[in-house]
Amino acid sequence: MRSCDVGVRRLPAGAGIGLRAPHVAAIAARRPAIPWLEVHAENYMHGPALRDLLRLRADHDISVHGVGLSLGTDGPLDARHLERLARLVERLEPAAVSEHLSWSVAGGAYLNHLLPLPLTEEALTVVAGHVDQLQTRLRRRVLVENPSSYLRFTSSTMSEPEFLAELARRTGCALLCDVNNIHVSAHNLGGDAAAYLDALPADAIGEIHLAGHAANDADGLTVLIDDHGSRVADAVWRLYARALERFGPVPTLIEWDTNLPALDVLLEEAARAQALLECHAVAA
Amino acid sequence: MPSLREVQTAFRDVLLGGDAAPALDSIAGDGLAVAARLAIYRHHVGATLTDVLRATFPVVCRLVDERFFGYAADRFIAAFPPEGPCLHEYGERFPAFLASFPPCRALVYLPDVARLEWAMCRAEHADDADHLDPRALAGIEPSAWPRLRFALHPSITLLASPWPVDRIWRANQPGADPETLVDLDAGGVRLELRRRDDDVVFRALDRGAYALRRVLHEGRTLAAAADAALAEDRGFGLAAALSELFTDDSLVDVTHTTEENEPCTPCP
Repeated sequence: MRSCDVGVRRLPAGAGIGLRAPHVAAIAARRPAIPWLEVHAENYMHGPALRDLLRLRADHDISVHGVGLSLGTDGPLDARHLERLARLVERLEPAAVSEHLSWSVAGGAYLNHLLPLPLTEEALTVVAGHVDQLQTRLRRRVLVENPSSYLRFTSSTMSEPEFLAELARRTGCALLCDVNNIHVSAHNLGGDAAAYLDALPADAIGEIHLAGHAANDADGLTVLIDDHGSRVADAVWRLYARALERFGPVPTLIEWDTNLPALDVLLEEAARAQALLECHAVAA
Repeated sequence: MPSLREVQTAFRDVLLGGDAAPALDSIAGDGLAVAARLAIYRHHVGATLTDVLRATFPVVCRLVDERFFGYAADRFIAAFPPEGPCLHEYGERFPAFLASFPPCRALVYLPDVARLEWAMCRAEHADDADHLDPRALAGIEPSAWPRLRFALHPSITLLASPWPVDRIWRANQPGADPETLVDLDAGGVRLELRRRDDDVVFRALDRGAYALRRVLHEGRTLAAAADAALAEDRGFGLAAALSELFTDDSLVDVTHTTEENEPCTPCP
């Protein structure tokens, strides 16, 4: 169990925050005691932004989180993008590299959304092939994150945790458990968030994401939108506590993308996650 | 059962404004119309890509107003969706799209304002490069200088327009005097845009300096660049212009070719 943890959990076992451009100067100046920062790979594939990040790397471990590789597209990965990602990883030597169980590319168009897959054997073969290719190119284990969903396919032949567990078994990849996404998807698709969490393979979980969501009205039905635009909801904190009970003290990230607040708000959220992590570290 | 590829092609078509094809019949409603579920994704794609375009083309947006910009962006996204996930690279075709978009035909200067903003976006995200040390030329015989080719800093764009796009851009910055009037008949401009430190800057060049830099930027020889500059301006001060290329850090590399590859009259 322990040796497996070391293999899957390469990040410091504390709470990190997602690094967003408006906070870069404040973090460089104040050097807050945040053990690790996560960046979206696609924002650092060019000159000036990467220069800033290389400076922050002296004080913080880095996690590279890709949003654009489209592991679920039926067709070849974008070779140019994979090379850019590989060069970034060589340059940053991050503690972790992650991507998503989703697709964004079809017919040469990049659709700027983490789109849902039918959870079929066909899709599993496609995603596993791409994860193999990614891990081979990067020469390292990657983490794959569960998406937030607004629809599901009746053609699916397995549940999402089953799909992720089989993906991890076939490829040796680790899993990034986004607790907010589990809550959002369970609400939108009528599932059981706790049962989802319990069905994930605990040994494979290398990182947790927490974020806020919005509640929108769609034809009289409340749909939760995974907008990363507010504090983590109480229901998601409760689900997080359950995740820590089951997985132990997994490195945890606070993500915030829209309506970005002052850095201190993110630090407060990270401190709350850190306190829960420490409780579970003692308990474990 | 439709294949994964069929599902993804049909999904893509819906996100880009088309109707749902039978390949999407396997989407569950679960108490909400399937169209409403697809609309959540479609809205996100349209809104986020429009945000990207608005951030890259803020002056174009101001010139046509938010609502019209949203309409033009929607048509553009459907016709030319991004080809890759690095979204600071999205929008290269937007100026040409505006030039051929009938509803803004009357705004003749709009495509060139968009070209200016696109060049600024490129400059902001271009790779860093060390400037060329003049000592790199020390070992080269003066007789070989005409055949030198220079690489300009990767952030540089040279942009010429028959409209005063620099003044239009400045008059539409936050805090600009709203009473400023730009005379569209004031004549065109030849601009050089680049990143200097972390700021994107542009300046107007005279005809000769613009021709010199444009031809060098195309990868052609110093001789060809000098000829182009002198053709534009018979009194062009070549020595001072060459010196300035070094002092303003415009050059990042030099290649010394022994063959003359410039188009020339056939040798006898």
